[in-house]
Amino acid sequence: MIYYIGAIGLIIIGLYIVLTKRNLIKVIIGLDIFETGIFILLVCTGYIKGGTAPIFSKDKLNPSLMVDPIPQALVLTAIVIGVATLALALSLVIRLYRHYGTLDVRKIKELKW
Amino acid sequence: MVNPVLLIVIPLGLTFTIPLFGFISKKITKYIPILGMIFNLAAAITLIPRVLQAPIIISLGGFPAPFGINLMVDPLAVFLAVLIALVGLMISIYAVDYIKKGATQSYHMLYLLLLVGATGIVLTGDIFNLFVFFEILCISSYALVAYNQDKPGIEAGIKYLIQGTVGSGLILMGIALLYGYFGTLNMAHIAKHIHSITPLSAFLPLALLITGFGVEAAIIPLNAWLPDAHSSAPSSISAILSSIAIKMGVYSIMRIIFTLFGASSLLHFLLFIGLITLLVGELAAFRQNNIKRMLAYSSTGQIGLIIFAFGLASALGIKGALFQITSHALAKALLFLTVGYMIYRSGSMEIDSLAGMGKKLPVISLAFVIGVFSLIGFPPFVGFASKFLIVEATLVQHDLLLTILLGFVLLATVIECAYFLKVIQIIYFKESNKDPDQTRKNTSLAVLIPICILMVLVVGIGIYPEVLSKILNSAAGMLLDRGEYIRSVLP
Repeated sequence: MIYYIGAIGLIIIGLYIVLTKRNLIKVIIGLDIFETGIFILLVCTGYIKGGTAPIFSKDKLNPSLMVDPIPQALVLTAIVIGVATLALALSLVIRLYRHYGTLDVRKIKELKW
Repeated sequence: MVNPVLLIVIPLGLTFTIPLFGFISKKITKYIPILGMIFNLAAAITLIPRVLQAPIIISLGGFPAPFGINLMVDPLAVFLAVLIALVGLMISIYAVDYIKKGATQSYHMLYLLLLVGATGIVLTGDIFNLFVFFEILCISSYALVAYNQDKPGIEAGIKYLIQGTVGSGLILMGIALLYGYFGTLNMAHIAKHIHSITPLSAFLPLALLITGFGVEAAIIPLNAWLPDAHSSAPSSISAILSSIAIKMGVYSIMRIIFTLFGASSLLHFLLFIGLITLLVGELAAFRQNNIKRMLAYSSTGQIGLIIFAFGLASALGIKGALFQITSHALAKALLFLTVGYMIYRSGSMEIDSLAGMGKKLPVISLAFVIGVFSLIGFPPFVGFASKFLIVEATLVQHDLLLTILLGFVLLATVIECAYFLKVIQIIYFKESNKDPDQTRKNTSLAVLIPICILMVLVVGIGIYPEVLSKILNSAAGMLLDRGEYIRSVLP
């Protein structure tokens, strides 16, 4: 239970940063915290207290003491996707800084409706 | 029979051989996306007769359905795969001549990757796989929006990226909850057991998934990225985003509502959200001075119409929605390609700068007019057939509320008519105040071929809408019948 609370807490902190911060680097940090929270939530769904990896190396290993490996595989995939997004976001921010000379989202408004 | 996996694998393989071909000659690389899409188009068309008999299930890695990842190739999937390959092919031919500056090799790689993502989304039968393909589509489109590396492009790219990433995060959260409930990721397996949990606990993942995919589908409160991204991207990318990428968001939402959750209580919500998206999109388009921004808002409106038609949830309504997806994909691709060329010639995106184009570029202007007429819904173009089907599907239900809503839909069409006819008037009847033709360039063949083919398709399918009738009926039936979907994956 405590893991779920922690994960949801990270998700909310991340969303709060994305919504309120003015600096684009901070917004991207917020996005990363948000994603980390989701990864922890995903891993939690397969976690068993005192469980171990599902490898049949030891005898007498009870299946009920094995953690579910699928969420871990999913999180690995999701982390790779997150890294790609982060790299793209940071490279776009570098370009943006060269054009505008600032990272303040209030001053970047070439495209106002 | 072609194995449907090849529809994903061949373009994906070609994507990463583009740098290798680049060592041989820089000029070859721009023809690789054309090659991939020709293969996809041919393969998808040969699959149609087989799929109309029974859906094809491919278990990847040899594990049977609920354990391994499977591809679910039903009529809807094949139909959309054909559409993606067709529009993708046209736009990749256009890009041969249109994309000259910048990192052209990366452009073609990312473009092909975007189409791989879209094809994967429609073919897969596994919800996490859907997410991965969705991310492939999204990340390549973030990068392509910023391709010009000018001020508006980068700004639109970063806006799109931040909103899109939050959306993807919500999707992943929804998937995590579903996995927590059911311990499976197979869509048919989840659909089989979805009624074993309380409606309240099913609501949270449903809401998260709809919101997440809604960002890409540009449903109205979530559409802030769309006008910026579509107007600042290169025109070929605006065309593919508008005709394919946002449709994938709509497709995913419909798969989730109809197949995964069977959430019939949500249909009225779909009707209203579709109508609001339609009205706000068209009203916002009305007051734009920038032609690409106008087309972008018009896309939002059309997405609203598609969602409205899905919300009817009758076989006729879904057929109308799928027909509208086709007609909008063809017409909007045509419009963005022609407008892209006009902007290239006039050097400005302001509507007033298009004055006199009717004389300077007669073929391109004619194509623009055909696209506009089809989008508004004049007969005999394809837009008429699809809008007529939606109107018919609404009226046969004999419901007062639906009839009133239909009135608003038709009002939105009138608004659409007003702003598009204004553009046509400027193109044909307003004299250009600039000096006529400083540099008279011939329109290149690579620009004319896709525009002409799209023009022929818009008129041809408009005259014979029955060509699509069989597969659309079958696709609509499949989307409505979740029992059939579950049975074919899990016998």
